[in-house]
Amino acid sequence: MTTATLDTWKEISEAAYQDLENVVGTENVSREPAVLDGYAWQPTINDDPAKWVKRPVAVVLPSSTEEVQEVVRICNRHGLKFKAFSTGWGVYSGPTYDNVVQIDLRRMNRILDIDERNMYALVEPYVCGAQLQAEAMKRGLNCHIIGAGPACSPLASATSGWGVGWDGIYMSYGHRNLLGAEWVLPDGELLRVGSSDSGLGWFSPDGPGPSLRGLMRGSTGALSGLGIFTKCALKLYPWPGPSRVRIRGLLLDAKAEIPENVRFHLCFFPDRNRLADAVYRIGEAEIGYLATRTAVAAFIYTFAPHLLRRIAGTSNLRDVLSKGTKWGFVIMLVGASEEEIDYQDAVLRRILADHEGLSIEAMGVPAIGSMVFMNFFRVTAIPMVFRMGGLFSTALDRNDTWDTQLDWAEIGESIKRKWIERGGILDDLADNPFMALYESNMWAHCEEIFQYDARDPKHLASLEPMFIEFSIAAIEKCMEPLSATDARLRKLVSPLMGHYNEWQKKLSGALDANRAADTGMYCDEIDFDFSKVEPELKAKLDRLTEKFRWTEEGPPS
Amino acid sequence: MALSDYQRDMEGCSRCSSCKWVPFNQIKSWRFAKNCPSICRYNFHAYSGSGRMIIGLSLLTGRSELNDNVAEIVYKCQLCGACDTACKVYRDDIDLTEVLLELRAHCVEQGFLMVEHMAMIDALKREDNVLGEPKAKRGEWAEGLPLKDINRERCEVLFHAGCRYSYDPDLRGTVRGAALLLLEAGLDVGIAGAEESCCGGRAYELGYRGEAENYAEDLLSRVKASGARILVTPCADGYAHFRYLYPRMGKELPCEILHMTQLLDRLVREGRLRFREQFPLLFTYHDPCHLGRMGEPYLGDWKGDKLQRPMSLKRAGRKGVYEAPRNLIQALPGAGLVEMERIREYSWCCGAGGGVHEAFPEFSSWTARERVEEALATGAEALATACPWCVRVLRDASREMRAELPVYDLVDLALQAAGIAEKERV
Repeated sequence: MTTATLDTWKEISEAAYQDLENVVGTENVSREPAVLDGYAWQPTINDDPAKWVKRPVAVVLPSSTEEVQEVVRICNRHGLKFKAFSTGWGVYSGPTYDNVVQIDLRRMNRILDIDERNMYALVEPYVCGAQLQAEAMKRGLNCHIIGAGPACSPLASATSGWGVGWDGIYMSYGHRNLLGAEWVLPDGELLRVGSSDSGLGWFSPDGPGPSLRGLMRGSTGALSGLGIFTKCALKLYPWPGPSRVRIRGLLLDAKAEIPENVRFHLCFFPDRNRLADAVYRIGEAEIGYLATRTAVAAFIYTFAPHLLRRIAGTSNLRDVLSKGTKWGFVIMLVGASEEEIDYQDAVLRRILADHEGLSIEAMGVPAIGSMVFMNFFRVTAIPMVFRMGGLFSTALDRNDTWDTQLDWAEIGESIKRKWIERGGILDDLADNPFMALYESNMWAHCEEIFQYDARDPKHLASLEPMFIEFSIAAIEKCMEPLSATDARLRKLVSPLMGHYNEWQKKLSGALDANRAADTGMYCDEIDFDFSKVEPELKAKLDRLTEKFRWTEEGPPS
Repeated sequence: MALSDYQRDMEGCSRCSSCKWVPFNQIKSWRFAKNCPSICRYNFHAYSGSGRMIIGLSLLTGRSELNDNVAEIVYKCQLCGACDTACKVYRDDIDLTEVLLELRAHCVEQGFLMVEHMAMIDALKREDNVLGEPKAKRGEWAEGLPLKDINRERCEVLFHAGCRYSYDPDLRGTVRGAALLLLEAGLDVGIAGAEESCCGGRAYELGYRGEAENYAEDLLSRVKASGARILVTPCADGYAHFRYLYPRMGKELPCEILHMTQLLDRLVREGRLRFREQFPLLFTYHDPCHLGRMGEPYLGDWKGDKLQRPMSLKRAGRKGVYEAPRNLIQALPGAGLVEMERIREYSWCCGAGGGVHEAFPEFSSWTARERVEEALATGAEALATACPWCVRVLRDASREMRAELPVYDLVDLALQAAGIAEKERV
């Protein structure tokens, strides 16, 4: 552990603190270092071995949009920065500067409306996915839940960062479900995006007039770098099942009453091409409520990590799993009627037959059905991914075609295999992609997950070199590399991608004259420390960045 | 053990915030989705299970210092175990409750004490109970009952009344009724009377470890001398400490340990106790933390890397007492049972535990009111539970809220159902 991030930390001024107290009340603001550290410990998806991020100077708990505006104005007046925090999953939630007021939106936790006829929900930042889903189900509806799990705020992923999830084949991606938002700009002004601003209700994220969605959210999201979202409307989707799935017990011991209109297939194909073609056919057929390619090993380390450790040490079992089940695919079908579920099932079986695929119909096996149903439907098992080593991280690619994502999975596997052999990360059999489809496979997503134990110095030492290696691989294959939230990587890749960050910086400057928003995750750029990276890799990266750099005339030839 | 012994647990916190929620497959609504009274009441992350682990890590690594503010955060927690259960649904390598207990012991060692807790410990040292009532009056509840005195006679069943039952005048009829039910079933029952002491569990929870060990030693010798085959207690706190804390301290009691609801359930099923009186009421049942998830027996310690710990040694509340109280309600003629949303391993706390009732009564009451709200939402006509501390604070909350929701101790229901005459009770 390091305490280096405290070297430049200073206490908030008395005047600024008094102003914050006046807005939210004494009980809802703190400058107690141990309380502030609760926001500075951010180990997940954090490739910095320290795991502590910058400690905020204060944390406030506003209860309304007006209070958020006032807190933002105070930050502007006192030369402080602000960073919003909702459910707080992942390193992106924490500050990146020394003088940040963390705005914890936990008290803004209401579902303001569920409009059944127009199929949307109006929510505040601290509504989590599981809450929204539970309420939507009572009305025959469902919401998109992101891959990070049901603890996460749907508002956060729709307005501010990513939004990938297994149900994307049916319920799309975070920001695609956004139907308008209330946005506190970095100077404290309020902006309403979409039809609600005209008093017409929350049915459209655009107009009248030019759309602001691209500025507000873009591809990855500004992660509080352009202000704070205090409410938003989210599209809901049909759920033709029961209003509540009755489950006895907790995750591994759970016994669920699986709805009759649900079928769940674990499919396996003989090779990549047949898997790829089959999945395109599934998209064309517009079947499926939820779909992913997730390795069988990932199921095992999630539900039985002890077992995977044994398997990893046994060559025959390793081969059975890593080769025999390599081209697997999971799909859940949901039908509004018996005829529809039978139809979807028949279509799937036909596609499987045409591509020499096999299927295990998991709902027919009660214990498996119980475990997998809520795991996928509500993404409940995601926190169990921490079981294997305590932490995981991910090599993100950007959304692209299904074939491109399969490429990325194979690249990620090859890089991971080397680091597993070195003992730099845990052995999950290397092939461990998190893949999802969107809108009937119009596009797809892949992250290569790797497992490690942050308490193991050897694992910590691997994080940054691996990060660079994944980045190089992505650039080499002309893929959009990794997470755009890392200021080190942003500086490296922005010139290779049309200097996109120059536009982000301009936008930030236009909306945030006082530089009050913490832009560390949005548009800042810092140099990477290459001291832990092998020289030949660094040289390769230099060659690639030179080769692919955009000039004033445009992209490289 | 010391706080530093749990540094790996604290460093293992991924800050996923699962500790703040009912395990996700059991979330049934927006309203009752959260599990931790402390973070729900005070909102800063520091008040969650994860937040307190980060406090521990921050203190251990020298990033921050213990002071009165931080100690108060540590103490504003009922130690209900909901965060630990939720965490352990997903994790193998973190013992969250142990970290919370170590933090308290650390506060005590460093001299950061709560005045109200010191008063409890002084009372304990002086009178052998945390309520500060005279020790000489501890056995008065049993006056006139044909119970054996284990200080002089051997018995088959040792009845341990517990502190609150022994002294709370509102609960006097309940504790006498418990003994009467056992006698009705023909059991050979003994008590320690004025010599009965606190189980010491509350002292342990407040961070005063030495006192707890002394009381464990005292009861161990008493049980041995009594020759009892069964120790039964209506106190859920005592039950949990006898089942978990005592064996963990190496003071395992040499007899079967049962909560009163377990023994009553057994007696009803064996036909030794019959429920005759009609109870045309719809009940909901509140799982006391110390009978449910915290009532899980000591499973043994795992010395190695907790990532490799077998599931059988993971304390996740699965072996708590959940069925016996429900069986009793369902055995009441004419009675119905409707469940709240947060039950069993993921039950919401009543608010009384961990010294919160004494040091932060407003927080305790807030927590209890939240539970009464949940009970009312079921449409139940009455709330039943099986712990004197829960009965106390839930009754108070129901009265404060002017809720038309009577709160019953299951013993009282069993007593009335068995038709044992009122005149015999008091």
